[in-house]
Formats: sequence, structure tokens, C-alpha cells
Amino acid sequence: MKINKNILISILMIFILGVIPLAKPPIYLMTLFLTMFMYIALCESWNLIGGYTGYLSFGHAAFFGVGGYTTAILMINYGLSPFLTAGIGGILAVILALIVGYPCLRLKGPYFAVVTLCFAWVIQIVFLNLNFTGGNVGLWLPLMKHDIFVTRAIFYEAMLILMIIVVLFTIHIERSKLGAGLRAIREDEDVAQTLGINTTKLKLIAFGLSAFFPGIIGGIYSYYITFIHPSSMFDPTLSIILVLMALFGGRGTWQGPIIGAGTITIINELLTSFIGAEIARIIYALLFIGVVVFMPTGIMASIKGFMKKRKKASKN
Amino acid sequence: MISQGLIIQSLISGILMGGIYAAMGVGFSLTWGVMKVINLSHCAFGVVSAYIGYWLLKNFGVDPLLSLIVIVPMLFVIGAGVYELLIKRIQHSKDITVSSMLLCFGLGILIENLMLYAWSASPRVMNTRYTGESFFVGGISLSIPSVIGFILAMSCLAAIYFFLHKTYTGKAVQAVWQEREGSALVGINIDRVSMITFGLAIASAGVGGVCMAFMYSFYPSLHNVWLLFMFLVVIVGGVGSVVGTAAGGLILGIVMGLSGALISYQWVNAIVFVLLIIILLIKPQGLFKV
Repeated sequence: MKINKNILISILMIFILGVIPLAKPPIYLMTLFLTMFMYIALCESWNLIGGYTGYLSFGHAAFFGVGGYTTAILMINYGLSPFLTAGIGGILAVILALIVGYPCLRLKGPYFAVVTLCFAWVIQIVFLNLNFTGGNVGLWLPLMKHDIFVTRAIFYEAMLILMIIVVLFTIHIERSKLGAGLRAIREDEDVAQTLGINTTKLKLIAFGLSAFFPGIIGGIYSYYITFIHPSSMFDPTLSIILVLMALFGGRGTWQGPIIGAGTITIINELLTSFIGAEIARIIYALLFIGVVVFMPTGIMASIKGFMKKRKKASKN
Repeated sequence: MISQGLIIQSLISGILMGGIYAAMGVGFSLTWGVMKVINLSHCAFGVVSAYIGYWLLKNFGVDPLLSLIVIVPMLFVIGAGVYELLIKRIQHSKDITVSSMLLCFGLGILIENLMLYAWSASPRVMNTRYTGESFFVGGISLSIPSVIGFILAMSCLAAIYFFLHKTYTGKAVQAVWQEREGSALVGINIDRVSMITFGLAIASAGVGGVCMAFMYSFYPSLHNVWLLFMFLVVIVGGVGSVVGTAAGGLILGIVMGLSGALISYQWVNAIVFVLLIIILLIKPQGLFKV
């Protein structure tokens, strides 16, 4: 019965979030939520490789950017709507992930982190210096033929749907055999291999899947933002912030990224617009330090630990 | 047509710059090797010391070389303080490398924004008596600030090497790097060794930061760029090794200098990072790890 109650609450919340645009909220609020949905979806897909498998990828901006550029180029040259072509961006991101992942997933710990960081940097430089990507000038996408509120509402719903799909997908993976295999790799890769788990294949699958959704999200995002440039689409800060959001919320659980990405986006955006960027960033940094020192395994794990303790106490 | 002189010129300026990266990287390498802490705020301390040097020069006319006498001990104390207050608390967490990255990232943002608040984002240049001066050796120009920075960086590296290999405490640091639990068993106070290592690392970042400020302009968010080069230097040289870090810095400088001369400038970073990826894939322990 308990699970059913949780599902009901979730459906109700999604429904409320879905009908918010009908109430004509201020555009600023909708943009805030839209950004939050995007980060949750990105962070959740990062979680597949970084959380469950334990390979910290610092290069997810590359997949995001490749997706964004794919749809932008298809839109500008052939007039195809990004909503139709976002999947192609996702597939290209997967191909890129497989090419890069095959040699790089042999590296462990910080080495993998550095390799992915550098890889994203190289891709950024390549896109800065190629001709068909607009190079240093960037690309302009045509606007939607609706007024600004309707446009925002469309993107709001698109991001919401994407986020729900990604979260459901992650829950599915978490409960599947694949998820169990990935967790085994995180705990002890050598032992997992001895037990007959094809770790190379599993890691590649996880890396590919975690690249797919950022590719799609990047495609939608480029249409939303209408101007793309390598320095914004392949921003290393994006890669880093995804990792931090996941670690902050607690990686390796599907709830972690939702909590992490949700809180950090809201804190970041609200503080920045109300009390000025520098002080906002200082508070934000103090928050980070506090969470690491007092909740070293992330918020989610701390909440779970706290619940367990309380259960034990009530039993006694 | 690329002349021979140009190649030699860029090679030398590359080496001069690489030496400074090495001086800054040696502390990064030590904390990573000895304490398993990846200090993402390392270069932020370098920028802080550059600002202190700049401030002393501008307000009191103190030469940056002289101000190092103040800056180095100060940063050592700050480093030791950061260790006692923050890093010590996460020493026993399950995955110290990951937690430390997160913690130090927060620290880095904190320092960067405090600097932004105090000194604003506009780039600063240290204007000493010898800025812009240079001398010629066989047709190759050497700018005096770069040479001073390089000599300073090399003496910093030499001092750390001497400390690690010749002094009692330094040997304890090396022992902790090689075998943490074993060294605790033979009576080394790991807490104290870690504190000294961290202080030393931050102090070396300070020296590196001042050296950098001799040559280039600096601004608060510059430390992110430096940090990437730190990773490069340390991984090429092998984590925790002083000689390796020095070699890594020089290799980085040479590659950057040469590729800057031979191909167009915007591809330099791409070449450097592709090279790093290749090195990581072939020899992840670094080229100089014994």
C-alpha cells in the first residue's frame, strides 16, 4: 500500500507541475523551473555512469553540446524542427561516447575524471575552429512563431516530459539486472569481473546511455536559447556542476540528483537574482563545504541513515 | 617559413613557463600523493598570493621578490589552518579523493568570489622596475621577469626536493606517501605530517602564483585555467614525485612553446590535451614514476 501512496503523490505532483503554465505564472518563474528540470535530467543521466558505476565523468558538456549543435545545424540548413531531430543528436552523442569510452573506461578514479575533462575541452576547441559549426561566431536559430509566453510554456512542458522520462528510465535501470551489475562494478570491479560480469561491456552501455539524454536535452536547449556558441554549449563548468549536484544530493540513488540539482539550481538562481552574484556564490560555496564536512556521503544518504536510526529507535 | 630562431625562441620561452607550472604543480602533486586529497583550490591560493604581492608592490613599493618572505610563511600558515579546520574532518570518510575534490571545489569558489569582492574582476599587472626589460643571448631575447620567475620556481622545486630527501620530517612525508598505515605503525604522526604537507603545498602554490604574476596579467577566475595545467603536469610526471613534476612542467612548456610556433595558436590547447589523453591511456602512472 505504501508504494502505491508514493506513486499517487508523484503523479499528483507531476500533474500540478504540468498544469502550472495554464495559470499564467510570471515568465521568470517558468524559466527557473525549466532550468531546474534541465539540470535534474542532465544530472540524472550523469548518475548512470558517475553514480551507479562510480566513474566520475567530467565531460558531459561534450554530449550536451554535440546534441545542441546537431539539431541547430539540421534546423538552419534543412529547416527541421529540433523536437524531431533531438533524437539524432542523442544518437550522435552515444556514438561519440562509445568511441571515447572504449579506450578511456579502462582508467579509474581521478584519471578517468581528467581524461573526460580534457576530452570535453578538445571537442570545444574543435567546434570553435570548424567552419560548418559557425566557429567563434556561433549559430543563430530561428525563433518559434509564437509569443514569448507560449514559447516558454512549450519548452517548459518539453523539459518536464524529458525529465520524467529520464527519471523513470533511471529508476528502471536501478532496479534491473544492468543496475545491479553497475553497482557491483562500483563496489569492486575486479571481484565483479571474477563473478562473470562483462565489466567492459556494462561500463560502455552505462556510458552510452548516460550520453544519450544529454544529447537530446542539448538539442532542445539550443532551440530554447536560440543562440549557441562553443563556450556556452561545451562549458566545462556545466560538466563540473553536474558532478557536484549529484555528489551533493547523493550519487547512486535516483532521488539524489533530484534533490541535488533541485536545491543547487534554486539556490544559485534565486540568490544570484536577489542579493548579487558574488555574495550568492560565497553562500553557495559555504554550503558545499558544510555538506561535505557534515554529510560526507550526500544529502540523500544522510536522510536515509537518519530514517534508519529513527526506525531502530522506535523499534526499541 | 618558420625560421630556426623562432623555434629556439619559443622553445626557451616554453621552458621558462613550464618551470613555473612545475613549481606550482609540485604542491598539488604532494597533496594528491601523500594525502590522497585532490586540492581543486590549489591554484586559487596561487592567485591570492599574486594579489598580495601586487598589493604590497602598489601600496608600499615592496619588490615582489622581497614580499615572498612574507607571502610564503603566511600561505604556509593558511594551508595548515585549512587542513586543521576542513581537510582533517574528511580524512576518515569512505572515499577521501571524491570528498576532497568536492570540498576543495567549494573552497576554490569561496576564495575566488572573496577575491572578486575585494579586488574586482579586472586583470592586474605587476609593474616592477624590470617589467618589459630583456637581454639577448646569441640573438635570442630573454625577458628578465620570465628568467627571474624561472629561477625562483626552480629554487622552490629544489628546496622541496631537499626537504623531502634530506630532512627528518621530509622523510616522514615520503614514508606516509609510500605506506600510510605502515608509517603510522612505526610512530609517525600522520596528522602532523599531513598538516605540514598541506601547508607546504599551499606555500608552493604561492611561489608559483607570484612567479606567474611576473609574466602575465592575473584575475580571480584565472585559477581554473591553471588548475587544468596542474592536472597535466602532475599526471605526466607521476603523482607525488618532485622530479617527475619538474620534468612534467618542462615537457608541457616545450610542447606548448613548439606547437605555438609551428601551428596556429588556437590549436595549442587541443594538442596539449590530446597528448595528455594519449599519455593517460598508455601510461597512467606517469612517465617518470619508478
